[in-house]
Amino acid sequence: MNSTATRSKKLEVLHELLAAATHEASASMSRWTNGLISLSLDEVRELPLEEVAAELELHDELLTMVVLSLEGPLGGEMILTFDEQNARQLAASLLNRPVNQDPEWTELEKSALTETGNILACAYMSALSRLIGEDLIPTAPYFLQDYGASVLQQALLPQAMAGDQILLCRTGFHRHGENLNWRVLFVPNHALREGMEKAIRTAV
Amino acid sequence: MNALATEEEIFTATVGMGQIVTARKPGQLSAVLGSCVGIALYHPRLEVGGLAHVVLPHSNGRLDNPGKFADTAVPALLQELQKHGIPQAGLVAKIAGGACMFQMRGPLQIGEANIQAVRQALTQANIRLAAQHVGGTAGRRIILDCANGTLRVEIAGRTVEIL
Repeated sequence: MNSTATRSKKLEVLHELLAAATHEASASMSRWTNGLISLSLDEVRELPLEEVAAELELHDELLTMVVLSLEGPLGGEMILTFDEQNARQLAASLLNRPVNQDPEWTELEKSALTETGNILACAYMSALSRLIGEDLIPTAPYFLQDYGASVLQQALLPQAMAGDQILLCRTGFHRHGENLNWRVLFVPNHALREGMEKAIRTAV
Repeated sequence: MNALATEEEIFTATVGMGQIVTARKPGQLSAVLGSCVGIALYHPRLEVGGLAHVVLPHSNGRLDNPGKFADTAVPALLQELQKHGIPQAGLVAKIAGGACMFQMRGPLQIGEANIQAVRQALTQANIRLAAQHVGGTAGRRIILDCANGTLRVEIAGRTVEIL
């Protein structure tokens, strides 16, 4: 098998691994939102560093985000992103209140959003830990409003240091079958990426 | 790397991670920065500028993507400007970026390392650093206006500074 075919097969198997983690995260998210929200893994691919922001349509739009890091040598970042409207709607729905029109976010709204990120990340990392046989421990989540591209840059750095090809997992969020403008960006560092590849090597 | 636009064209080109782009009056060059550093070089008399979007401080000998690293981006940007007849003499530099975007401050403080490496590369190239807006914990959107050499720095939509 040539290197392109091997790479393609690895991505295919990696897709299966991450789809299983996404499935568990989706089940947790559905429970947290009373069946409102589900997730699907739409794509796993590699692409050049300079194309990632454009591919994810992350430019100069200000986004609301929940950020978690993975502690330890098998590290990485998980970032849940929303536009302002979707973030407000989710917070209102979780708090069972009307959408807040005040430009400032209340601590309760921030807490609702960070808890969503926490539930999502814990379910995802728990499944991934089991699948690769290594402990993955997410930090406490925090709320952030900034340019999506700025946050993505720093998350990509560990992979950028190792090469020019970035592993990208595209996840879709759905509410009653309708696509939502939410994203979850999971960027494993080089060691975790190797750990995942090692776990799937026997399947290739 | 993009070719210089003609004077008749009015455009704003986006400079992605690891890219180097040049433009002449009245063109504009923009980038969104987090831990990356934007290096803007501008020739006031010839009204031509260039922007490099640096991702990491050191190339460690790699030559395949010079815009990605501080130590190779400065020579590559100079070379790109020289291709269009812009001499190094008279160029002034402005830099922005190098933020620490995540609260979890670990050993990888790449924003600060990028700032230091860019300053060092400019010193080695003997280019005057005229202004800078670096560090902090928020993202920036920068726009280099090749009509006058100003660098507009927007900090996560909250404040604007003109360098």
